[in-house]
Amino acid sequence: MADLSRRELLGGVLAGSVAHSTVLASDRAETTSEAQVQPLLIIDTNLHLFQWPFRRLPYDTVQALVEKLQAMGIEKAWGGSFEGLLHRDIAGVNQRLAQACVEFGKNRLIPFGTVNPALPDWEDDIRRCHEEHHMPGIRLYPNYHDFTLADPRFQRLLSIAHERGLLVQICVSMEDQRTQHPKLHVPDVDLSPLPLTMQDSKHTQVILLNYKPTNAGLNRLIKVPGIYFDTGRVEGTSGISKLVRAVPEGRVVFGTHAPFFIYESALIKVEESALTEREKLALMAENAQRLLQPST
Amino acid sequence: MQATIPQPQRLGLPPEEQLVEYQIWDSYFTASLADTRGMVREIEQTMPTLEKGAIQKSCVFFHVGLGTANPEVDAAVRDDPSLILAPLKRWPERILGLIQLNANDVPGSLEAINRWIADGPMVGVYFPGGSQGTTNCSHRNFDPLVSRVADLKGLIVQHTWFDTTEKGGPTQSTPSDLAVLAKRFPNIPFVCAHAGGEWEKGIRAIRATTNVYVETSGFDPTAGFVDMAVRELTAKRVIFGSHLPSRSLGTELGKILGANITSSDRHLILGENLRALLTPILRKKALKST
Repeated sequence: MADLSRRELLGGVLAGSVAHSTVLASDRAETTSEAQVQPLLIIDTNLHLFQWPFRRLPYDTVQALVEKLQAMGIEKAWGGSFEGLLHRDIAGVNQRLAQACVEFGKNRLIPFGTVNPALPDWEDDIRRCHEEHHMPGIRLYPNYHDFTLADPRFQRLLSIAHERGLLVQICVSMEDQRTQHPKLHVPDVDLSPLPLTMQDSKHTQVILLNYKPTNAGLNRLIKVPGIYFDTGRVEGTSGISKLVRAVPEGRVVFGTHAPFFIYESALIKVEESALTEREKLALMAENAQRLLQPST
Repeated sequence: MQATIPQPQRLGLPPEEQLVEYQIWDSYFTASLADTRGMVREIEQTMPTLEKGAIQKSCVFFHVGLGTANPEVDAAVRDDPSLILAPLKRWPERILGLIQLNANDVPGSLEAINRWIADGPMVGVYFPGGSQGTTNCSHRNFDPLVSRVADLKGLIVQHTWFDTTEKGGPTQSTPSDLAVLAKRFPNIPFVCAHAGGEWEKGIRAIRATTNVYVETSGFDPTAGFVDMAVRELTAKRVIFGSHLPSRSLGTELGKILGANITSSDRHLILGENLRALLTPILRKKALKST
């Protein structure tokens, strides 16, 4: 209890200070208490490596991204690959992702390989992610890869992931549909089939990335115990606290959707959400850590 | 000597004194269209967020009964103008009032300009997007309204959006439409709200029209936007908007704090540019411009 109280009091001041030290290097005011405090552990569950297909982004080289993570006080980041959106050689995509995480990651980057069940022999991509690259999970882009969540292949994918103990991340959206390239419109993933599809995969853990909660949709999704939510596209001044309190405990994880989105934005959204320190600790790292623990 | 109690954590934000030093002014505060009393309630609920972001002043867009809101709100504000004045009276140091005009109703809009800006407390006008009370801003109906607002030194903000799904319809204005209007009035500044949403196109659309400024709110915190705007327009043509409370402080303030720009650029965007645009009318009304 004493430890918790200390963390509640002190947690994260260093992380907050580090977070702005690079961004505002030219403006920064000195702080005096940095060395005395314990950093808040932050795990970003929603990062991408390499280049967004439609524009160059700040931090779209792995070296720059890792430096940014360090500057922002991000301890770990679960990284997928932007290449996974449009490339068909998914095995190559995942190999490059795994190599980059090893070479540049400095133990901060945890790779989540892409699986496209609309491609032939997609099961072997799961096997490689698990057995060769030792990834803890996989990432799906249903609307870029043209399958629905009612698709039998998706159902089978969930079963295989569960058998292998892999987390499954579904990117519900990558970009606001209204600003997408006119020749490549990709709507948000229709999540309505998911509860029914997961009836046979109740123990699979599925994390929805970049989901914008709506009351009706959220109420259906939270009834499925294996569905988790990230904060990437949650909006409004108290959007994150509303989500955290609407969802059963432990099922919201911190996600930035960086480098497509600005890192600072993701952190300030948490800051403005008036979470309790306990809620903040759970959101920023503990819930994600629990997901990485082997299920019993 | 007592031990120093660390400041509460400020994830992603610089120290409070740094934010205060920016003297942040917000050009785009959205309030509920649901009912006029809801506006006071929403501003009240948003105050802690404004405090956290050290936002000193916000431009709020008031419906004045010109068909820009739903019929009930329009009728309510026409019957009881004190509803419009309530937020300004409650937070005179925090709120700068702009009125929402309907260019389909030129006589009514001119009357509103005279009533609320020339003879009232408002400091500018907002031409909304959406389907209620809107006309494409390249239309000639805008000309007498723009001229009159400019006579009064008022601020002109135009909602813009480039919708790649093409659902916007002909009454929605794009940055290209605003450039057409602005070219007819090369000495009058215009604020291009939301930079068109699809900002890579929006910035290009107004780049050559140097009396148009881009406003930064209204779309996701996509990395690279402010960097490109500063590169292509210079920081002197970029103006911060919070889009509170419907968007997050993180989404909007993060765009400026997270951009790879200089400290002086950040000062311009967060406050200096808007203050410069508003100073003439604030002086005229003997209101504080600092």
